[in-house]
Amino acid sequence: MNARGWLRGAVPPRTLFVAALILVVASLTVGPVVMLLLGSFSRGLGALGTFTLAKYIAAYSDPSLPRVLLNTVLFTLGSALFSTVLGTFLAYLSVRTNIPLKRAFSILPLIPMMFPHVLFAAAWIILLNPTNGILNQWLRVLLGTSWGPLNIYSLGGMIFLEGLLDLPVTFMVISPALYSFDISLEEASRVSGASNVRTLMKITLPMLRPAILAAFMLAVIRSLAAFAVPQMIGIPGRIQVLTTYVYRVISVGWSPDYGRAAALGVIVLVSAISLILLYRYLTSASERFVTVTGKGFRPTVVNLGRLRYLFFGIVAVLFCVLIVIPALTLGYMSFLPYTVMPGSRALTLFSLANWNAVLQDRIAIRSIGNTALLAVGGATLGVLLSVFIAYVLVKTKGRATSLLDSLVFLSFSFPGLIIGVGFMWFLIRTPIYATLWALLVAYIGTYLPYGVRPLTSAFIQVHHDLEDSSRVCGAGFLGTLRRVTVPLIAPGVLSAWVLMAAMFVRELSVSAVLARPGSEVLSVQIMRYAYDGLWGRVSALGILMIGLSASLVIVANIVKGRLSSVN
Amino acid sequence: MRVSVTELTKTFRSKHEEVKALDRVSLITPPRKILTLLGPSGCGKTSLLRCIAGLENPDRGEIAVGDEVVWSKARGIAFPPERRGLGMVFQSYAIWPHMTVLDNVAYPLRLRRVPRPEIMRRVKAVLDMVQLEGLENRPATKLSGGQQQRVALARALVAEPKVILFDEPLSNLDAKLRESTRQELRAFITSLGLSSIYVTHDRVEALAISDEVAVMHRGAIVERGTPTELYFQSDNPFVVDFIGRANFVQAKVVSHDGDAFVVADTRLGRLKAAAPAEVTPRQEVTMYFRTESVELVRSGEGGGLNEFDARVKASLFTGEAYEVRVEVNGVEILAKLGLGDRVTEGEQVRLRVRPEWCRVLRPQS
Repeated sequence: MNARGWLRGAVPPRTLFVAALILVVASLTVGPVVMLLLGSFSRGLGALGTFTLAKYIAAYSDPSLPRVLLNTVLFTLGSALFSTVLGTFLAYLSVRTNIPLKRAFSILPLIPMMFPHVLFAAAWIILLNPTNGILNQWLRVLLGTSWGPLNIYSLGGMIFLEGLLDLPVTFMVISPALYSFDISLEEASRVSGASNVRTLMKITLPMLRPAILAAFMLAVIRSLAAFAVPQMIGIPGRIQVLTTYVYRVISVGWSPDYGRAAALGVIVLVSAISLILLYRYLTSASERFVTVTGKGFRPTVVNLGRLRYLFFGIVAVLFCVLIVIPALTLGYMSFLPYTVMPGSRALTLFSLANWNAVLQDRIAIRSIGNTALLAVGGATLGVLLSVFIAYVLVKTKGRATSLLDSLVFLSFSFPGLIIGVGFMWFLIRTPIYATLWALLVAYIGTYLPYGVRPLTSAFIQVHHDLEDSSRVCGAGFLGTLRRVTVPLIAPGVLSAWVLMAAMFVRELSVSAVLARPGSEVLSVQIMRYAYDGLWGRVSALGILMIGLSASLVIVANIVKGRLSSVN
Repeated sequence: MRVSVTELTKTFRSKHEEVKALDRVSLITPPRKILTLLGPSGCGKTSLLRCIAGLENPDRGEIAVGDEVVWSKARGIAFPPERRGLGMVFQSYAIWPHMTVLDNVAYPLRLRRVPRPEIMRRVKAVLDMVQLEGLENRPATKLSGGQQQRVALARALVAEPKVILFDEPLSNLDAKLRESTRQELRAFITSLGLSSIYVTHDRVEALAISDEVAVMHRGAIVERGTPTELYFQSDNPFVVDFIGRANFVQAKVVSHDGDAFVVADTRLGRLKAAAPAEVTPRQEVTMYFRTESVELVRSGEGGGLNEFDARVKASLFTGEAYEVRVEVNGVEILAKLGLGDRVTEGEQVRLRVRPEWCRVLRPQS
């Protein structure tokens, strides 16, 4: 018997495989968390392990902290509430009513996933800043006032923008609940004598309560982790929340205090993890609302009558607010030296100056290359890891599996900026510190659920008989995975790849902590331009960023086309 | 109360095809009786029920509940479901899981602004009727399937609807419970004298529960009658085949007695059978008899009408009977024989079908 055969006999390869996987995932997720905790009790990056409470005392005795906490609570709850209401409204309209262009409209709430948050905030600053925002200038002419009238640099402005950016989360939780809703529960109410509106209030919404609550919880977690909007809007507006406060601690002054940042980060992380656990508890409790379902009627469409055009108008406006106006604003602004209302004066100022400046800025050029590399490399490695994880999650049951599940699930709650600080502590003593590899590892660790989720659903659709028959035919575990399973889930792999790549192109919060000279990335560079008020360059580089995103999606679609033509 | 449906048409359009779910259906239901709409899936029975309830809108036609027209394309009348004064029991029961039994059953009364003491009184009365007394405050999710079904019935009854609609209410119960519930439900509905329209695809359930059955096929009502009329005296080949198991035999009429019977030659020999009046001598017709109508002739009892010799090809024991496949002169006949009539494969037997169980189908013109 040769050595390999003996090894096989001793420990099943499957067990080894799962153990290795758990080790990798744990070091990517638990690793930075543990290091964050250790770091918070240490004297500094160079003195890890020397126990001290000094950082906690320094962090929590700051007199400005209560104000920051209050802002955080208001911002988080406000934007989560706004996003949940809007998400419920859109989900109901798109699933249950006869609103025009239904199909196009189910994509609308997902736009913020692809549109970089930094750019979204930048566009609305260009439009609505109180001094020379384009919309404000226009409104002043219209109303005859000399100031304002709208100020994006406010808590209200932050809540508005973050609420819109959280829309994908709330919509994606609520619309499946509406799809699987047993329509006869509503019909029974109608036959009992209730009108459409009354049925909505008495039956549909109360029944959706668990889903709505779950959506709200996830939106709270996202808003708590938000960094782009608080940094771009809150800092000029002097409204600090926890993430921007932590960022200030590590980015301002001579010696960034990573110990204090970690001490602050611990409460953010603990809140986020508690929220995700509460979310999990609530969603599992909501299973008691599962009902016997009848035969699959097509969901009865609620006839809105003439109101459908009103609602369609509202949705159209929302579509403009989410994508059309920001995109046009960036395009327009990239040719202007400063913000001017569209008109003849703007035409005389049009130039390619911003584009030239950006294309001659060596850091900007390097950041494009770095981001492209991270998106392609990170998504590829991330999807590879996700394939293994999703496979184990779907196809095996047991304690190891649920541990793996919990690790991936928990990481969904991690605020990028805080976990970035954790990775800082984690990687500081390693040779990859201050290289692109540091960003790559941190990206994959932070965004793992975005790869695992779509792949889990892809694996669920592969019937286990297909694999079992391959095993019976003589292929091993890995052989079956390679020859049978992976080809079957190829479309899911591509979706996960696109999703991860798009997340990495627009990544800001982890990068803001870990990017160093030489490893600059696009969003951080855009944030720097914005900090200097160079809105024209923000726009030009932003458009290049969107171009990069779009070309990745196009390439993935071409590959998808090739794959389906081969089959 | 009566429901009248006149020339109702409903078409479902998808990208590739148009399906006529209802094709000019007209129907008047018998008051205080149970009328069942029976047919295979896709025959239009559920669409018809849902149009009556107001949950779907037909393309053309008219629906009246009692004397009140609730839907008329021509006259522009379209009552929403909540204004039709009906009760309905759904296939999934549609018990609202976020409410208690009391809330579920009181819902129609609360919408009608019935005073609270009266609501409590009527809910209690109806829960007593369906034997759920004392369960008022139980959450709806803590009910068994049978209990959910009774809550659904109570909710449909509580506002004293003009007509009560049943959409396959027993199909979610397991087979044994379904049989006993069938009996209880029929006794319950008839004792209250409710006007009911009942939809099912289960022929046994339809026969057992109904006063009248309307068989639907491809969006139309093909035949209507009492359960026994449909089972034994149908002239329609689709109905005969759908509602039970029958043997069809080609026959040539020899003579018609001018009343209800003919004598005809078949490959089973010369048979006497009931026939429609328009059948004439020398006509080629199709004759049928049900598998249960075939009897075994024991030795010494023979010599009567409609007897033939057969060879047993297979015999299956199903618990309640023997399902026997026999061959007669190149024709295969299925027979369901009682437990006392055990036959074995290869055996020669003599069988009989009494003339009153044999029927000639209406000739297709």
